[in-house]
Amino acid sequence: MEKALERQLDETMNNPGVVGVLCADKQGLCLGARGTGERQTCGLITSLAETAQKLHPDESSSPVISIETDNMQILIKSKEGITTAVYKSST
Amino acid sequence: MSMPECRKELKKYFNHLMSLVEGLYAIIITDRDGVPVFKVSTENAPELALRPTFLSTFGMATDQASKLGLSKNKSMISTYSAFQVVHLNKLPLIVTMVASSKTNTGMLLALERDFDNVLKDMRAVVDIS
Repeated sequence: MEKALERQLDETMNNPGVVGVLCADKQGLCLGARGTGERQTCGLITSLAETAQKLHPDESSSPVISIETDNMQILIKSKEGITTAVYKSST
Repeated sequence: MSMPECRKELKKYFNHLMSLVEGLYAIIITDRDGVPVFKVSTENAPELALRPTFLSTFGMATDQASKLGLSKNKSMISTYSAFQVVHLNKLPLIVTMVASSKTNTGMLLALERDFDNVLKDMRAVVDIS
């Protein structure tokens, strides 16, 4: 059943610079994770996406959140109840 | 640190944890029979979910779930129309979290890490008795 999602996660991992990816439902439960994406952070990622959406409640589409650290960039986006986080290496 | 002081500190810490997750109404730590060891709750928590009769069911359920051949049961999530209850198996202790059904379940599960340090000391006490 989740083969399509698993394939999509693997394809995302093949993109240059991507070191991790994770996918969560709107309850913050993990649907899939690869690489540095830790399953336990799914709840936090979903919560971040929900909070960011509250900044512009009138906007129909959810924002893309970018978190930058010294050695990594995390991109978070929600769509149709699914939140995806992509971990990219800065180097 | 004296016992009342220790309890006060613990209460403060658990109240802090409760404030981290929106809609988390209660955190209860019990032994395997459902006897409360420590409890923090808000007025929104359903009274029935705080009773030992409710809390003791997880002890039995986790024992049965561990026999399914999928190794030891770690946690159980029960969702109801207005509430959700997350149980964590930290035997000999059991952590029960009562929250709104709209609460982010992943955030509740992520609290497990924060519980581990506190439970380490509590477990020693329960083990002796």
